[in-house]
Amino acid sequence: MSAGAQPAGAGATPLSARWSRRRFALLHLSLQAVVVGLCLLVTSFPLPAPDSRYAVREATVAGPDGPTPVRLPATFPGSTPRRINLALSFTAPDKLTEEWSVLTPRFTNAAQVLVNGVAVLDTRRKASNNRPDRNAADMAVIPTQLLRPGVNELSVRLYVWGPLSGFLDTLYVGPDSVLRDAWDWRILLFSTLPVVFSSWQVILALVLGIMWFKRRQETAYGVLAAAMALGALHTFLIPPEQPSWLAGIRAAAIGSAPLESGLVLLFCMLFLGRRLTPLFAALTLGPGVVIALAGLIGGPEMVRQAFIWPGLPAIALCLGGVAWLTHGAALSRRDLVSVLLASAATVLVTCLIRDVLTIAGALPHQRIFVTRMAYAAVMTVIGACLTWRFASALNEVDSFAGRLVTQVREAEDKLRASFAREEQRKHAAALASERARLTRDLHDGLGGQLVSIVALAERSGAHGAQIGEAARSALRDLRLVIDAMDDIDGDLMLALGAWRERTAARLRPHDIRLDWRPLSPAGLPVHQELRPWHVIQLLRLLDEAVTNTVKHANARCITVSFGSFTNDDGAARGRIIIADDGHGFSGRATPQGRGLDNMRRRAGRCGVSLSLDSGPDGVRITLDLPARFPETEIPA
Amino acid sequence: MTASPTDTDSTGAPSGGITVLLVEDDAPTRGRLRDALASEPGFTIREAGTVAEARAALDQTAPDVLLTDLQLPDGHGVDLIRETRARFPRAEVMVISILGDEESVIAAISVGATGYLLKDAFPTDIAATVRDLVAGHSPISASIARFIVRRAQREPDAAARPQLNTARLTPREIDILWGIAKGFSYADIAAHLGLSRQTVPGHIKSIYRKLEVNTRGEAVFEAVQQGLIKL
Repeated sequence: MSAGAQPAGAGATPLSARWSRRRFALLHLSLQAVVVGLCLLVTSFPLPAPDSRYAVREATVAGPDGPTPVRLPATFPGSTPRRINLALSFTAPDKLTEEWSVLTPRFTNAAQVLVNGVAVLDTRRKASNNRPDRNAADMAVIPTQLLRPGVNELSVRLYVWGPLSGFLDTLYVGPDSVLRDAWDWRILLFSTLPVVFSSWQVILALVLGIMWFKRRQETAYGVLAAAMALGALHTFLIPPEQPSWLAGIRAAAIGSAPLESGLVLLFCMLFLGRRLTPLFAALTLGPGVVIALAGLIGGPEMVRQAFIWPGLPAIALCLGGVAWLTHGAALSRRDLVSVLLASAATVLVTCLIRDVLTIAGALPHQRIFVTRMAYAAVMTVIGACLTWRFASALNEVDSFAGRLVTQVREAEDKLRASFAREEQRKHAAALASERARLTRDLHDGLGGQLVSIVALAERSGAHGAQIGEAARSALRDLRLVIDAMDDIDGDLMLALGAWRERTAARLRPHDIRLDWRPLSPAGLPVHQELRPWHVIQLLRLLDEAVTNTVKHANARCITVSFGSFTNDDGAARGRIIIADDGHGFSGRATPQGRGLDNMRRRAGRCGVSLSLDSGPDGVRITLDLPARFPETEIPA
Repeated sequence: MTASPTDTDSTGAPSGGITVLLVEDDAPTRGRLRDALASEPGFTIREAGTVAEARAALDQTAPDVLLTDLQLPDGHGVDLIRETRARFPRAEVMVISILGDEESVIAAISVGATGYLLKDAFPTDIAATVRDLVAGHSPISASIARFIVRRAQREPDAAARPQLNTARLTPREIDILWGIAKGFSYADIAAHLGLSRQTVPGHIKSIYRKLEVNTRGEAVFEAVQQGLIKL
């Protein structure tokens, strides 16, 4: 899934369904107002400061026109670089009970603090403190020997090297324990927190970069990774002090904000699926590149100049573009992702305006820059959201793949089943057509001739009766064979039905009745494995039983009973009983006669067990069908 | 193998009893069937050995029963059945089948036959069957019942031939056919379904009538498809 092509994809919640365009616009604007309000509230929250008893505000600045009184915090506009000397004083108690310290909460660019003429604090020693965009504070313990009871001299040498004007916040001199709390807070807020954000940015830059590397079509991820990497670099690089070949590069990296904002604008365009022309990309990234080149060629001083112009306007334009894009997207798409992006842009723009006002001096007596931190925080959140979204997309792909696997398996099963069905159907159709062909052939040839024989035999009187009977029996067998080939779906009852008809017609001239008696309502069980050869064997067996009765038994009635019985193992087994009311085997052919052997053999082949009872009231043959008919003939 | 249309009146009164037109090309068989019918009172038999002779006979008299073979030297019994049904709607048609196989019998049913007779049936059975048919009792075999039921219960298959109008069969009629297919007597079926024994044969005739394919084109197509008619 490309972020560009489907910006409001998996993670987006469509709000458009719930709100009308007008209503949504109103809601969106209210939300942005709340965001702005929250930003202002948070940034105007007073920073922790020590007890005002220890504040040192009154200073005199030495100048060409003599000393001028100044009340801190104060801004010192003027040419750069230069050094401003401030003279202040504080009162120490007569008897020190603990160590005293001096705290400089905010200074631009660097400050050297001297107590009674001895330097106790030089912020230039900690290079990262001197970056104008950091809201650095510094603190030092005043050696006890330096402190005099009563009024002490405090002088500050403020070093200003631009691009911003010099600034010095109220100084605090007091017991270390009183000052340290405020200092710790400031360190946490303005040193540790940016490092934490930057570490996150490093991680996210890595994650997003890897995503982009493995999925090059996700350009938005790549651009965002680049922006994050620059942001991290920016935080961790120390500003140059001594001129060296690295100084320019480091200066350029610190002045990377225009490049970063350009990248953020490009990311927003890609993410929101806007068309990106190479010219636009070049224009967006141009100022940042110019600053980097300035660093490489001209060194730190030129970077400072370039950062003011064209750097700052570029940042403003890019952030403005981001705000325009995201708010436009939020209003037109009305989805959660766009609204979140737009809110992030609002936060950045609010902070930027506040910082610009600070630089312009419209907000006097403070110099706390918030844009960089807000930016880092927002980028971290956006990066985290993107990673979240990526993982969700992966999950979706996983579940989609899972669903697909299930569906494919189901389809395969269905296909297999339908294939098997089709095979079965084809087999049945082939059998049926073969049977039809055979029937037609027999009908046209053998059948017609046998019928003629019957007719001719009948005409030749008593002598022909035997011939006629033989021909009839041949016809019966023909019908039996054809019948057995029919697809009866394992229902032996269907084969028996046709047999009954033939047999009843055959018995009628002999004046023997055929009784049909189901023993259980369900009749015989269905045997799916039943094949034509089983049917032929069983029907011939029955035919032979009938023949025996007709020839020898002198019976008036043959009863065929059939049904299902549950045997010991709980399975339903079929049973067919064929009984006559003749005089049994007494006084004539032994039960071991040839016909009976034949019947036993036929039964054995199909796995049918045959038992025979003969008595003065008739012969009774019981056929117990197997639970399952054998696939091949069982040898006798 | 030809036979001139001749009348054989077992009662001696041509106008009385049941007039049967017997169309069969095999002379011994024809003679056997004729003898079987003639030996019983109440039958007037006209014989034909070819389709042409049968048509000539139809032009002379309207038969009560047409008893015809399907394979004839100059044509097919199916055409004869259809013509007879069209010209004499009150005539009963019975097909003479060697094997009683469903294919030939169903082809005849689809053009209007309401019964079949096996060529090797015993003489007493032959006369009884024809008499029953006239009385409205159509004979049906287990294998034919099975064929019809199977066709009615399977999903419609365009390739299945011959086509039958099984859609019009009622569940009761299908139950009856099942009973017959499984070898139960009319009495058994009637008892099982809560019918009177006498109504079962009527149901069977109604089944036959429903199965008839009504348009001539359809039926010829079916028969050709089946290879029953050799063009």
